[in-house]
Amino acid sequence: MNLRFLVPVVYALSSIAAAQTVAPVNAPKNGGDFSSNASGAKVPTGVILVKGAWSSASDSTTPVPEGGTMRDNLYANDYFGISYPMPAGWTEIYEGPPPSESGRYVLAQLSPTETTKGTHGIVLITAQDMFFDPQPAANALELVTYSRDHLQADYKVEIPPSTTKVADRPFTFFAYWSPVAQLHWYVLATEIRCHAVEIVLSSQDTKLLEHLVVDMDHMNLPAEANPSAGTGGGQFPICIKDYATDENLITRVDPVFAQRRFNPVPVRIIIDKTGSVKHIHLLSAFPDQAKVVTDALRQWKFKPYMQGGKPVEVETGILFGSPQFPARLKSSASAVE
Amino acid sequence: MHCPLHRISPVVKGSPLLTNEVVFENHNRNHTCRKNQLTVASSRIVSVVTLAVLFLPKPISAQTDPGVQSGSRGTGAPFSSVSLNSPSGILSFFTDGQTRFQAVESVSGSPSGNNGLGPRFNSTSCSSCHAQPAVGGSGAASNPQAQFTSNGVAPGNTTPSFVTPTGPTLEARFPFFFNSNGTVNFNAPNGGVEDLFTVNGRSDAGSCSLPQPSFSAAISAGNIIFRIPTPTFGTGLMELLDDSTLLNNQLNNLNNYLGVGGSFNRNGNDGTITRFGWKAQNKSLHIFAGEAYNVEMGISNLLFPQDRPLPGEDQLQTGLPSNCLNLSGTGYPEDTSNPAATPNAAVLDDVSAFANFMRLLAPPPTGGVVLNGQQVSSSNISAGASLFNSIGCAVCHNPSPGTTQVSNFTSSLTSAPVNAYSDIEVHHMGSGLADNVSQGNAGGDQFRTAPLWGLGQRIFLLHDGRTTNLVTAIKNHASHGSEATVVEQNFFNLNSTQQQQILDFLRSL
Repeated sequence: MNLRFLVPVVYALSSIAAAQTVAPVNAPKNGGDFSSNASGAKVPTGVILVKGAWSSASDSTTPVPEGGTMRDNLYANDYFGISYPMPAGWTEIYEGPPPSESGRYVLAQLSPTETTKGTHGIVLITAQDMFFDPQPAANALELVTYSRDHLQADYKVEIPPSTTKVADRPFTFFAYWSPVAQLHWYVLATEIRCHAVEIVLSSQDTKLLEHLVVDMDHMNLPAEANPSAGTGGGQFPICIKDYATDENLITRVDPVFAQRRFNPVPVRIIIDKTGSVKHIHLLSAFPDQAKVVTDALRQWKFKPYMQGGKPVEVETGILFGSPQFPARLKSSASAVE
Repeated sequence: MHCPLHRISPVVKGSPLLTNEVVFENHNRNHTCRKNQLTVASSRIVSVVTLAVLFLPKPISAQTDPGVQSGSRGTGAPFSSVSLNSPSGILSFFTDGQTRFQAVESVSGSPSGNNGLGPRFNSTSCSSCHAQPAVGGSGAASNPQAQFTSNGVAPGNTTPSFVTPTGPTLEARFPFFFNSNGTVNFNAPNGGVEDLFTVNGRSDAGSCSLPQPSFSAAISAGNIIFRIPTPTFGTGLMELLDDSTLLNNQLNNLNNYLGVGGSFNRNGNDGTITRFGWKAQNKSLHIFAGEAYNVEMGISNLLFPQDRPLPGEDQLQTGLPSNCLNLSGTGYPEDTSNPAATPNAAVLDDVSAFANFMRLLAPPPTGGVVLNGQQVSSSNISAGASLFNSIGCAVCHNPSPGTTQVSNFTSSLTSAPVNAYSDIEVHHMGSGLADNVSQGNAGGDQFRTAPLWGLGQRIFLLHDGRTTNLVTAIKNHASHGSEATVVEQNFFNLNSTQQQQILDFLRSL
């Protein structure tokens, strides 16, 4: 008997038997919702591939606020000119979120690693782009004061906003705490390039906090860092609010969004000495919006900004899209609701 | 000498002292004990406590999720004005909606109003998914989907491997479409629901025979994500908050020192804030119900009048084959108004009945918590509530985002507090939670702050039901790119007692 012949017969018989029960329809073609053989690159886990509004820039070399790095215990941020050595064992376990649509940045979130002895604490380095902040604050000092005035009920002021010196620069210092959690926050704020840079130290351990503050003396900061006057100049372009007015513009091309998304699209640009836009940083934009805005801004032409008879670079902010909060809060407005 | 009762004012070396200037001292220097002139009196007492806590060994017992609380809290009841039938007729809207919510749909042949299922579906009734702890809730402990291929609901189908009897009731989506050679097309985001089952093999489905999506291939390619049902208790209140209330909350939180920076999802028609669903993509309860009826059960309706193919069938191929259309024989849409029906409530189409039912569901009542057989004290629960606020959870999980507007529907909805524990914003939740599905303005890593009311009786947690343990759910808040990392660290930096108090509080909701 030829067994090899029997095998296909047996196989054919069993296939017929299977078809007589209700079986799924013939194998679907590949494509769309179907795949008979998903070889090739897998979708990686733990990677954000599909993004909504995100930050982007017209080139990858000009420093941007979110471009800081934490390496070998040193937090370095070329945009702000900050280098901040952290105590041994402090790292950034997780990167922060992208910039918010109101210009708020999480530059770094640092904590001691598991193996470091001692109590727990967090160093949160944040920045608020003062061009896009709807709160009534003209600079870092006013922003901290505003925060203190609107502190939520769970918190008590520990040390009201006052001036201090860190790393030979003036800082605004503000401390508050939660009696319930015995959690303290020390906020040290300054202003650089029209951003309120607020370094927030939090812990249940005030000794640790005081130690961290003393350690901040080892920071390097640009000369202009000042809670009420960090407006560029020196190594940085001068930052000027709302510089893109008709008065300063020679050529303006408005970006036209193909799709309405009703989101604010805050953008910072650096204008070179000839009045051309040399760098575009979109804080929060959908990809199609980013392209349209970048293409338009590349065509803008400003009158060069003169200082002491010489043209200088200028940094400014422009809000495209839908403003989130069209009217700035008045400082005298009572607490809402 | 160590001075436990006084906080020493630190001093920066070499800096001049100015009035009102705070100075910091190198703590290694010898110093005499002196009062800190800026110390608030109460913090002196707390300093003692703080130091005492520092020198005590930390409790050894790990914090424990008290787990799903059994026993009825009265969840699933209508609002009081509805129970009182005010205005007249509203109670029958509720009870009729609640009945229809539980109706098991067929493809054809059932009494009028219960046909139209498929040709693709995830389940056969609203309450099969929205069941826990009562009709209108979230997924049950026992997953009905696991029985469908053997109990006649989906005979000609294969049960997908991720559908298990005690796992979460769920839907599946493929973040990306497949190429024509079967590989993942990273340039073609998909993200639409890939219904688990087809009407294949059902005697009431005529000759319609459709393939199920390629779940095994999707799993091997890592090209699959899941979603579990969201509970609907109290959603009528969420629907009745004005945009300005939500915007004001966002404004008040702008300069938080926690790293939070949420935004709103908005609908493409009029730009106003949307609220329902895992990414807050749906504007109203009607849309929420209509979309679910169409997508999850395959029943076309007044809001979504066509039978729905799979995303790829619809966008890349030729839609559904004609022998899979109008299977109920009633024509389109399969769910519509019933002009001649009596009583009044029966005139409504199913989607309106579902929406009314959900809208009129009272929010889930809070309740006591049992941990390891022992009742947790109310002082522990309220301590947990305070801690929840203090460490920053409440910035996103806002205990009360506001008060509703005047309702044109029933008085219990008017000027009512909305104790949802959600700001109804979407937030970046990091690479650990990202599902790579974009919905409206919410990107693949953004999710609506999940309302926490009713958490005490919810079984499966997070958008895909990946855990039943609250501690794990909290851990998942921290990952690269998340706004919640600092608050998550604040939680785990608390001592065990404090963490336990928060967990106890959460299970009281």
